[in-house]
Amino acid sequence: MTRLVRAELAKLRTVRLFYSVAAAMAAFGALTVVANVTSAGQQGNPPLSADDLPAVVGSPATMLAGAALLLGILGMAGEFRHHTITQTFLTTPDRGRVVAAKLAAYLLAGIAVAVLTLAVTMAVALPWLSAKGLAVSALDGDLGRVLAGTLLAAGLCGLLGVGVGALVRNQVAALVGVLVWVVVVEGLLLNLLNAPSLGKWLPSAVAAALTNPGGDHLSRWAAALLFAAYGLAFALTGTRFVVRRDIT
Amino acid sequence: MAVITVEGLTKRFGDVVAVDDLSFEVDQGTVVGFLGPNGAGKTTTLRILLGLVAPTAGSARIQGGPYRQLAAPLHHVGAVLEASGFHPGRTARNHLRVVAIAAGLPRARADEVLSAVGLDHAADRRVGGFSLGMRQRLALAAALVGAPEILVLDEPANGLDPEGIHWLRGFLRHLADEGRTVLVSSHVLAEVAQTVDHVVIIAHGRLVTQSTLAALSTRTKQVVRVRTPQAQTLRPLLIAQGIQADLAGPDQIVAADTTPETIGRAAAAAGIVIYEMGADRSNLEEVFLELTSPQGGTS
Repeated sequence: MTRLVRAELAKLRTVRLFYSVAAAMAAFGALTVVANVTSAGQQGNPPLSADDLPAVVGSPATMLAGAALLLGILGMAGEFRHHTITQTFLTTPDRGRVVAAKLAAYLLAGIAVAVLTLAVTMAVALPWLSAKGLAVSALDGDLGRVLAGTLLAAGLCGLLGVGVGALVRNQVAALVGVLVWVVVVEGLLLNLLNAPSLGKWLPSAVAAALTNPGGDHLSRWAAALLFAAYGLAFALTGTRFVVRRDIT
Repeated sequence: MAVITVEGLTKRFGDVVAVDDLSFEVDQGTVVGFLGPNGAGKTTTLRILLGLVAPTAGSARIQGGPYRQLAAPLHHVGAVLEASGFHPGRTARNHLRVVAIAAGLPRARADEVLSAVGLDHAADRRVGGFSLGMRQRLALAAALVGAPEILVLDEPANGLDPEGIHWLRGFLRHLADEGRTVLVSSHVLAEVAQTVDHVVIIAHGRLVTQSTLAALSTRTKQVVRVRTPQAQTLRPLLIAQGIQADLAGPDQIVAADTTPETIGRAAAAAGIVIYEMGADRSNLEEVFLELTSPQGGTS
């Protein structure tokens, strides 16, 4: 199994997509910090306080989750698009193990992109806020929770992406499907069911509970478990289809 | 000893029967041409053999069991299936490294097989910029990563230029000389005739014949080749006399089991101009065409 995960990580490291996504996220992270810090105290925005550090550092969390989801979807569905799935299954005929290795690899890939991005946001935010005379500490407890939650969310989104990719197999359809789900379907469902309390159980709210705890969200651990369950449910269903499917 | 056994294999895609109760064997150390026109079911058969497609009925076994039960498949079987199975953004060397890592083989195998197929110079180029011939070589390299004793090659000559085909022939010969078993498919007998010792010929998903190449050559027969601008007029006249006559070009007829005298008289009677005529033996390609034509085997 280890060698299959290593092979999946090697696939990821030998094309440019992973580096482009990581670089884009790092740049985006730095920009969000700059935007947050410079807009604070301007045009009616409240000025920054030391308590705002976790929010500032964690501001790219949603984008990170999306980026990890994208990597996972492209990592799985891309094999069908480029027909590399033929070689993959020739090498490892046990298709369930292939999907399992991808789940592990993209969990790690999501975390890796998040580590890089958060390192950048911390590197920009900590000295800047200190220079503004705000007493900030990297050992802040809330900061730790936001960092851990963001890493977890990015990792689980990578895993979820693999599940979606295995189920849908067409990478464009998978990406469009995810967008439509997040932007349209979740809101529509809530309106139709007239039950806003159900909202916290839907995938994007669960992801938000990981990165931005508090409010009407689930607790972090419940959210982590539920989100992992969403990812595995997609992966298991997708695997069932992938295992039976003729690779022509 | 048979290392590949196909038994009663059938595959339906919806209403289409791609492979129909097909059985054949490949013995250890032989080079077998798997021949048939496009759409005969060659690719489907090979994909079933390699565990990529599930058969509707029957079985295909490698070394006595299904491919999917081989513990380390690449150590036993190398396959070339389609030239498009590469990520365009990955380099040739990295493509092979990924295969080696997943198969639990040393990364250095990537460089060894790259030089075996003569692609060293392109090792660090992205596959997206490769010509079809280079892709076929890279696919062959991937098949060799595990140094397998069995090779399954689906139309490896497809899209190769004459020089590439010449190279491929030499390469297949080299693999055979090393004692490997090779099952190589093609829709053109001539492409593999110099390389294979046995042929398995299929048409419409069914086995037409399995024999040695030498036995196939005994099926050649006496023919008369006629070149005439009125081929379309002459052919029905010959057929009316009970002669099997096929068009071999816009102005060419190949007539079997007859004599130039018979044809000359028939042409003269109808006032047909003949440019050229001669008795000959049919060649292997014509035997193959006849076997796989829609009326195949009936004559």
